[in-house]
Amino acid sequence: MAASIRLLARRIVRDASRTINSSVSGRIVSSSCPSNLSACRCFSDGAADKSTHFGFETVSEGEKAERVYKVFESVAPKYDVMNDAMSLGVHRLWKDMLLHVMNPQPGICLLDVAGGTGDISFRFLDYVRSQQERVARRTARANQTPSWQEISTSYTTPTEGIEMETEARESRAVVCDINKEMLKVGKQKAESMGISSGLSWVVGDAEELPFDDDQFDVYTIAFGIRNVTHIDLALQEAVRVLKPGGRFMCLEFSKVTNPLLARLYDAYSFQMIPVLGEVIAGDWKSYQYLVESIRKFPDQETFKQMIEDAGLFSVRYHNLTGGVVALHSGFKL
Amino acid sequence: MAALLRGLRVGRALRGFGSVVVPKTSSPQCNGLRRGFHCAALRLQEDKDKSIPVPPSSAASSTTTYHEHYRAPPSKNNTATYMHEAPAPEAAASEAAAKEAPQPNTSYADQSGEQGEEYETEEQLQAHILNAALDFVQLHGWTLEAISAGAETLGLSAASSGMFQNGAGDLVLHFIAQCNAQLTEQMAEQHNQVQLGQAEPKKTAEFLRDAVETRLRMLMPYIDNWPQAMSILLLPHNIPDSLKHLSTLVDDIWYYAGDRSTDLNWYTKRAALTGIYNTTELVMIQDSSEDFQDTWNFLENRIQDIVNMAGAAKQVASTGEAVAQGLMGAAVTLKNLTGINQRR
Repeated sequence: MAASIRLLARRIVRDASRTINSSVSGRIVSSSCPSNLSACRCFSDGAADKSTHFGFETVSEGEKAERVYKVFESVAPKYDVMNDAMSLGVHRLWKDMLLHVMNPQPGICLLDVAGGTGDISFRFLDYVRSQQERVARRTARANQTPSWQEISTSYTTPTEGIEMETEARESRAVVCDINKEMLKVGKQKAESMGISSGLSWVVGDAEELPFDDDQFDVYTIAFGIRNVTHIDLALQEAVRVLKPGGRFMCLEFSKVTNPLLARLYDAYSFQMIPVLGEVIAGDWKSYQYLVESIRKFPDQETFKQMIEDAGLFSVRYHNLTGGVVALHSGFKL
Repeated sequence: MAALLRGLRVGRALRGFGSVVVPKTSSPQCNGLRRGFHCAALRLQEDKDKSIPVPPSSAASSTTTYHEHYRAPPSKNNTATYMHEAPAPEAAASEAAAKEAPQPNTSYADQSGEQGEEYETEEQLQAHILNAALDFVQLHGWTLEAISAGAETLGLSAASSGMFQNGAGDLVLHFIAQCNAQLTEQMAEQHNQVQLGQAEPKKTAEFLRDAVETRLRMLMPYIDNWPQAMSILLLPHNIPDSLKHLSTLVDDIWYYAGDRSTDLNWYTKRAALTGIYNTTELVMIQDSSEDFQDTWNFLENRIQDIVNMAGAAKQVASTGEAVAQGLMGAAVTLKNLTGINQRR
């Protein structure tokens, strides 16, 4: 009875705002965390219970989700341009590296969370398609010079001509983002690139994915997980929607190991990036949040531990650009 | 949408899932070795039968949450029981477990109950995937595609081939390690039989020939793709491992052949056998005769060469000694004849 009222209340809250709802559910979990098994959950209204960091500020968790939403809403139109400007184009190499490490086989389903403008998904589809072309070319070439044995067997068996293994395995990519503006930009990009099949766009919260269990072969989240209020929830959701044997991959800014590089990087981040943000996108604060949130994100080893705690195995990370970006990968076994 | 799914999941929770027992006594640092692979194990046990996989417990941290991989038929029961995302749902678990009578206890959090487990470590699971991948080598060659195909037969996603950082190299090295282990087992078995007096000890040459032939016969199912495997083994980052496997193989063969030498012979014998093995392998790749008879003839000839050379070396040594003694004798005679030896 009380439970149904609680559910009703939650539905109402969700109708009001998706993000507030996610923070509420997140908060409920975190408030129940300290090993207390009381069946009745305190549903305090007003998302002002726990506080977290928003850049270098301290805000309540509900507020964080809302402010993150606003940040990305405002940067969405200029997101790709700013990425190129801030990283001097290197972000493309980082994303290519992610795909290279992923090495997807044809027929794989990808879930790109916080995928926004779809960079990873486009690269994924390109990669898989070029691989399929390469395989097709190879079989065609092999069929051009059949050995004597193959010719003799083709005489005896009822020949269907040169048979190519029709891989009826279509790869799919699903882009999921909490922010509709980012998805809109992504859809426009897809249309302009002429990609129509194998791609879908879904609005969803990383802490509570609108997908069933055991759906995807690969789950990627590129430069998105530091904006999630409860990272452990996002990791658990990742484990849930991954198929057994599936792979979790996370590309994220991390701690630079080299002290000299760290100083240069800090100077660049705090002096240059907000200025670029103001000049190009007219938004100083969002990019200030960006660089601050990078500093607040746990380092490589801590994040690796968090991934292992969520239940993934064989967790490894690669440092890219001296630790500016780290690529973590784990398997659901 | 999310609510509907949550409702479904709640329904499944009510149906009961496998026990998710949070161990009070487990150490907070359980990792690696203690993690079982319930999903994989069960799938392997049930032979790809799509029966109920049991949810694996996550690592034994006190903030364990439940995982629901239980594929119960979706329940229409959308009553609003609150979804317990809390840790240690022991009350629910015990109720659920009570309903779950025939479910095998595969919660690895239960320290003693690892009976359902066949694969307790990542290494074992990787070994199992590679074994399954060997079936696909004829189709895909020694590549990551073969590993992905193998993983899929075990019910894992193709993406799990990413676990193997060395890719095809892992597959090839696993295969030769397996073959070497098989050979060593057979040789040990033969050795035991000889010890028990149930079999005649073989002569060295014959033993070597049989050992190398047995080992090379294990390559026969994969002989079409073996050149690719050999080239993978010669890649610089694989050379240390492949050399290690080769040297242990040769060492084992000589040991069971009865070699206990402790001088320079140890090196010469192994070098000779390595040469024989590699050249015979190369001959085997391009051999098209019936049952590789040409290869075995080649092997026989090479071993004969070695035996002859060993014999010849002994003869040279003894001849050399004899010659040296003869020369010494001649020199003394000459000295006697010319009278140098005499004391005046």
